[in-house]
Amino acid sequence: MNIALVGNPNVGKSVIFNALTGSYVTVSNYPGTTVDVSKGPGRFGGQKYTIIDTPGVNSLVPRSEDEKVTKEILSRPDTAIMVQVADSKNLKRSLLLTLELIELGRPLVLALNMSDEAKERGIAIDVKKLSDRLGINIVETIAVTGDGITKLKEAIARTKAPSPAVEYLKTEREGARPDSISLARAREKVAAALLKDILTFSKPLKKDIAEAIGRITTRPLTGVPILMGIMVLMYFFVGKFAAGTMVDFFENAVFGKFINPFFVSVADNYISMKLLRDFLIGDYGVLTMALTYAFAIIFPIVTAFFIFFGFLEDSGYLPRLSVLSDAVFKTIGLNGRAILPMILGLGCGTMATLTARILDTKKERILVSILLTLAIPCSAQLGIILGILGSISAKALVLWLVIMLSVLMGVGFVASKVVPGARSPFIQEIPPVRMPQIKNILVKTFARLKWYLREAVPLFVLGTILLFVLDAVGALNAIERLVSPVVVHLLGLPEKATEAFIIGFLRRDYGAAGLYALSRSGLLDGIQTLVSVVVVTLFVPCVAQFFVTIKERGVKTACLIGGFVFVFAFLFGGALNFALRYCIDTLKIPLI
Amino acid sequence: MDARHKIEEALSVVWDEREKNNDSAADVRQKIKDKIGEEMVESLIADGYIASGADRIQLTAKGEAVARDVTRRQRLAERLLIDVLELNRNEMDSSACALEHILSKEVEESICTLLGHPKECPHGLPIPAGSCCAKARDYLESVVVPLSKLSAGEAAQIVYVLTREHPQLHKLMSFGVTPGAKISVHQVFPAFVIQVEETQLALESEIAKEIFVKRIKN
Repeated sequence: MNIALVGNPNVGKSVIFNALTGSYVTVSNYPGTTVDVSKGPGRFGGQKYTIIDTPGVNSLVPRSEDEKVTKEILSRPDTAIMVQVADSKNLKRSLLLTLELIELGRPLVLALNMSDEAKERGIAIDVKKLSDRLGINIVETIAVTGDGITKLKEAIARTKAPSPAVEYLKTEREGARPDSISLARAREKVAAALLKDILTFSKPLKKDIAEAIGRITTRPLTGVPILMGIMVLMYFFVGKFAAGTMVDFFENAVFGKFINPFFVSVADNYISMKLLRDFLIGDYGVLTMALTYAFAIIFPIVTAFFIFFGFLEDSGYLPRLSVLSDAVFKTIGLNGRAILPMILGLGCGTMATLTARILDTKKERILVSILLTLAIPCSAQLGIILGILGSISAKALVLWLVIMLSVLMGVGFVASKVVPGARSPFIQEIPPVRMPQIKNILVKTFARLKWYLREAVPLFVLGTILLFVLDAVGALNAIERLVSPVVVHLLGLPEKATEAFIIGFLRRDYGAAGLYALSRSGLLDGIQTLVSVVVVTLFVPCVAQFFVTIKERGVKTACLIGGFVFVFAFLFGGALNFALRYCIDTLKIPLI
Repeated sequence: MDARHKIEEALSVVWDEREKNNDSAADVRQKIKDKIGEEMVESLIADGYIASGADRIQLTAKGEAVARDVTRRQRLAERLLIDVLELNRNEMDSSACALEHILSKEVEESICTLLGHPKECPHGLPIPAGSCCAKARDYLESVVVPLSKLSAGEAAQIVYVLTREHPQLHKLMSFGVTPGAKISVHQVFPAFVIQVEETQLALESEIAKEIFVKRIKN
């Protein structure tokens, strides 16, 4: 017996799903579609059920794949109970779906979620009246805090088929097509009638302030400076505090003074086989390299980034940023919604590649993957890069920024012409501006960190093992010897820089740090530093991001992207090298 | 009904059936008989409006021109009655039927401009374009305009949405952007941001061009 969870997108369905099922959830692809459906066990009224989380839909008209799958799941004979999760502050819209569900005649429970947000906006709902009119159980919930979940479980246990006050629910038919406008209009009228004297509005002062804040973020005149401000804040919080202070602490103090020496001494004393010792604690050792990297370096950085990102998300800023940036994205074949994976890419490119799923067409997802792989440096690198460039001059930093943006737009533009497929139009709901709730942010950050530990860390370990093997068989040196002519002659860099690039594939920061060391010991001049930093930024992503790209876009596409980026980075670096040498040495223009 | 009207009615039947991909002579003959009350097929063939062969009926060039014209006028009339005069379906059907025969060319073009050169009738069937649509004359200021013509701070009521032109527009409907909904415009640059009841929605201008609204006083 199944219980189907259904509702509009972005109403908190997944959170309710988690609350009802606990941890044993399987996500599977619905046969014949690209839609993922989550299933998990639950127990209500002493009976075992399988809870199915359907994709978010706005109606049951089977137009898109999501709607078809949902309709099918709801129509199956073994779907015993339907639980609709609704957005309390947009009740009328959710009610349109409720009316369609009631027509199916199965037992239905309505969870009015995000009831705190409705109250914040001065919306009060007479739940008892609505429940009587619709003839179904209604429970107010705040899924992220768990409020009302127990009541919801009880309601599910004792739910029956709806017994609505019939005169409210006669909708015009006239042989109209299910997706016709007249039917939608009729439902609108019924919903409006149903909500009469159930909803009361009071306009809290907070709403005006919130709206004003919302407005200044979406207009270019005020929005762009605000964005700059946010980027600077992010640099200080993620770049300086996390990547600098925290990482130093973890890498040098915790891992450097305690954890690694502990492992080393244990290995020295108890493991006699040199190969195994090297495997664990050598230069490319699983413990000394992979785990140190994953926990001492990346972990604090991504945690800080996720927290910062959570603030942006929870406050409602991100959709407004997409409004601001839509025009820019249109020129490269995307739309404003692409800003989300791009910003995430500044934190962790692996996670950003996954987030590309929110884009509607395959072409857009491929374009974003290309740009993430090529031109968006993750936070592991960013701090070091900014440090290196800053130590040369402010002009070098600006020049790097200009170069990266030009590459982003240039490659994006060309790619949008080359990659086949269509763009999707920009239609984005803008949620209300709200005070970020610390609890929400922590819950989401925690979930993302759990993902990181489960998915990314094993990939780092895998990559390290790969490097270990390559080094052990001498292949690493061979690769270096192969690549260094390009590095020396095309890029004009010293031979030692090759190692930094190759290692950069596994550890993004190592690549940048290697260059930092070179530049600090005076082995790189200003031009060389800039060229090497540009190349390392453009160069292939870390192993985790590459694997995830394979998983998301398929092996062929991922390898094409990887190959293109590899070649482009070197060619562009070479061209930059010659251009800079010409302008600075020959034409004597002080660019750096 | 005078002779001219009967011919127009009969030819519009042939046009309607053709839209449904039905050119069977038997069907068309029957439908014409149902609508007008007498057999018209023979006289239409004699006058050169339709051609018949192998149980199929087709419009000739002459018949095509008349049928296209009357269909256009009928569907424009329907739009006028429903959108601007806000009659209900039954009233519309009977009035449109009579209206289509008395609209002259100039009146038809004025109505088309008033309505913003609509592409579909209330039943969702296409309205054949006229010369005014091609030139998009604005001599008579349209009452019904695309959303893209509004500026920030204006309020409007949605008249219709061109769902057939764009599958994503169906997504719009579920956000509450349906005929009859009242909206207000927050900003138009760099993207349109509108308020539909409790929902704030951002749209690009290409989409705004396909949402047709009527301005209302704030």
